[in-house]
Amino acid sequence: MVKKLILPTIFAFLAYGFWISSDFKEIAAGVAIFLFGMLALEEGFKAFTGGLLEKILKRTTDKLWKSLSFGVISTTIMQSSSLVSVITISFLSAGLISLAAGVGIIFGANLGTTTGAWLVAGLGLKVKISTYAMPMLVFGIILVFQKTKELKGIGYVLAGLGFLFLGIHHMKEGFEAFKDTIDLTAYAVEGYAGVLLFTVIGLFATVVMQSSHATLVLIITALSAQQITYENALALAIGANIGTTITAILGSISANIEGKRLAGAHLIFNMATGFVAIAFIWQLTGLVDSVSAWLGIADDNYTLKLAVFHTIFNAIGVVLMLPFIGPMVTFLKTRLPSPPAPHVSEPRYLNRAAFEMPDTMLAAVRQETLHLYDNAAKIIAGGLSLNLQDIRGEKPLEEVIHQSRSVIPTDIDRQYEDSVKSLYGSIVDFISKAQGRMSLSPDHSDELFRLRAAGRDIVEAIKDTKHLQKNMSQYILADNPYIQSEYDTIRLRLASVLRELYKVNLQGDNSAIILSLDRLKLDMQEYDHSLNNNLGSLIRHDRISPAMSVSLMNDSGYAYDVTRNLVQMGEVLFSSGELRLKAAERSLRLDEDEVSAVAEQ
Amino acid sequence: MNLRKLINRTDEYLRTEERKRKEKRKYLKQVTRKLREHEKSLKAQLEDCSDSELKKRLNKEIMLAHAQRKKGVKLIKSLKKKKSKSKTEKN
Repeated sequence: MVKKLILPTIFAFLAYGFWISSDFKEIAAGVAIFLFGMLALEEGFKAFTGGLLEKILKRTTDKLWKSLSFGVISTTIMQSSSLVSVITISFLSAGLISLAAGVGIIFGANLGTTTGAWLVAGLGLKVKISTYAMPMLVFGIILVFQKTKELKGIGYVLAGLGFLFLGIHHMKEGFEAFKDTIDLTAYAVEGYAGVLLFTVIGLFATVVMQSSHATLVLIITALSAQQITYENALALAIGANIGTTITAILGSISANIEGKRLAGAHLIFNMATGFVAIAFIWQLTGLVDSVSAWLGIADDNYTLKLAVFHTIFNAIGVVLMLPFIGPMVTFLKTRLPSPPAPHVSEPRYLNRAAFEMPDTMLAAVRQETLHLYDNAAKIIAGGLSLNLQDIRGEKPLEEVIHQSRSVIPTDIDRQYEDSVKSLYGSIVDFISKAQGRMSLSPDHSDELFRLRAAGRDIVEAIKDTKHLQKNMSQYILADNPYIQSEYDTIRLRLASVLRELYKVNLQGDNSAIILSLDRLKLDMQEYDHSLNNNLGSLIRHDRISPAMSVSLMNDSGYAYDVTRNLVQMGEVLFSSGELRLKAAERSLRLDEDEVSAVAEQ
Repeated sequence: MNLRKLINRTDEYLRTEERKRKEKRKYLKQVTRKLREHEKSLKAQLEDCSDSELKKRLNKEIMLAHAQRKKGVKLIKSLKKKKSKSKTEKN
């Protein structure tokens, strides 16, 4: 009920405001244009991904200082800490980064957001930025209509910046005109009551606009027009800092538990920083005065002093909270415990938060398909009457096969139903939703198609193993040593495929290692040739019956298909680089004829 | 950088086909470089290896990496040719 009333109330309030004051209308329009600029900017930055994000994240989040810097730089560039925190939540949900790295990024984002205040207070108010806004908008929109993704992206960024500037200009103009009619400073409240009241107002304004940057620009423009007092502006900035966490909290609703923990960390950080700032507001104001004097900022330049304050209190927050990242992560893990381990057939990475960006969506599908492969590998190993742990261990595979002389009862149909079918269904469903909801570039769509095909390869490999299993279970216990040895060779071949895939997956970011999977194709071709030669001799010397030879021929065909499917799957899933790098890897893979040519050398 | 050079570069960037070709070449070079390093390390392993089975396997991997690298170099060359062809057509 309350939810239904919020929007009409806001509309009614705004409409009344517009009716009584055209200046208020200009300020509100400025905010709206500014927020629209943020949306355009977000759209623009999304165009510049394509595996690049994953690459940057891998390199920049392995150490705390790196994640912190990533947060600072990305927020400085995108000028939106809310956007950075929502994207970070989607990274975390897709399993691209750890919680500690996510917390580091969020801390950095808080520091990065302070650059916005400097830009607006230092540049935005001094130069007539609307002069720059107009050409930016014109060039930006022309570029938006271009076909190429990159040009479109540049267009959105340019138009976004143009709208931001235009929005600031209108807010500034609105406040300037406003002061001729009403003096808002008459409503200023002094002392702690004022600090608390304006903190709440700042918080509320940010929750409504979902952008602390927009609130801050509003505060700075109002301050420059002397419509609010300096002390109240400081309190508003503190409130905006706390209110900005709402975007992350909303974003985490659709995320997994890790995403929720990150939103919790964001809230704790901003609340703690806010409390410290409120408790020591007068001391901080003194510190701001000294720092400003040292920087050569005039005593009455309150807008720049607000930027100094914003930077100092966020920096203090980072310094205070940095030593507590570890305990904070532990605290969040206890307060927000992981749900009971999901059944193997339940998806772990597919959640709506991953739809935030094409790259995170692809990463989530890739991780989930790897999970699918993990389930499938257990089934395939069981079908060969082997233990997956032994296959992935260090012991020579000949020894592993030799020691596994008994048949491990594996109901492949049941296990397929239990741990593969529904998971693959979830992946396919997620992919369809992604295609419907997101505007994907041809590169992203192609990759999505390949990931879905990799899932199908996994399913096919299980089905082929099932066909193999029947004769294999019979012949590995047979009295005839020749047929037993032939089936052990098939087991050895497939076990070595599973071991090789496991090793390659561990070093997935090396293109040469991914391409080394072609060796498995070569091995399989060579095995096929040698089996054909052996088969004739085995039949001629009556070592195996004709029925056995037919089974062996069919089953070596199934083994060949299992290998082909698994290698195809590995080539798509294990490579974690940029999409274009993956395309280059694909173009260097050898086809069957080329593999045959190598085999003949 | 003189104005003509700047115009040429901007024109090259804006021409999607050319840019895509350039990017493709860049990534192909990156992968072939990795393959060369891989081939080198495999050769070093082969020199120190005494196990005949492992030697056989290493030889196979070297041959594969070499074939893949050759394929890459061929592709890079053909992309380069296309570039010079389009330049001549333009002139």
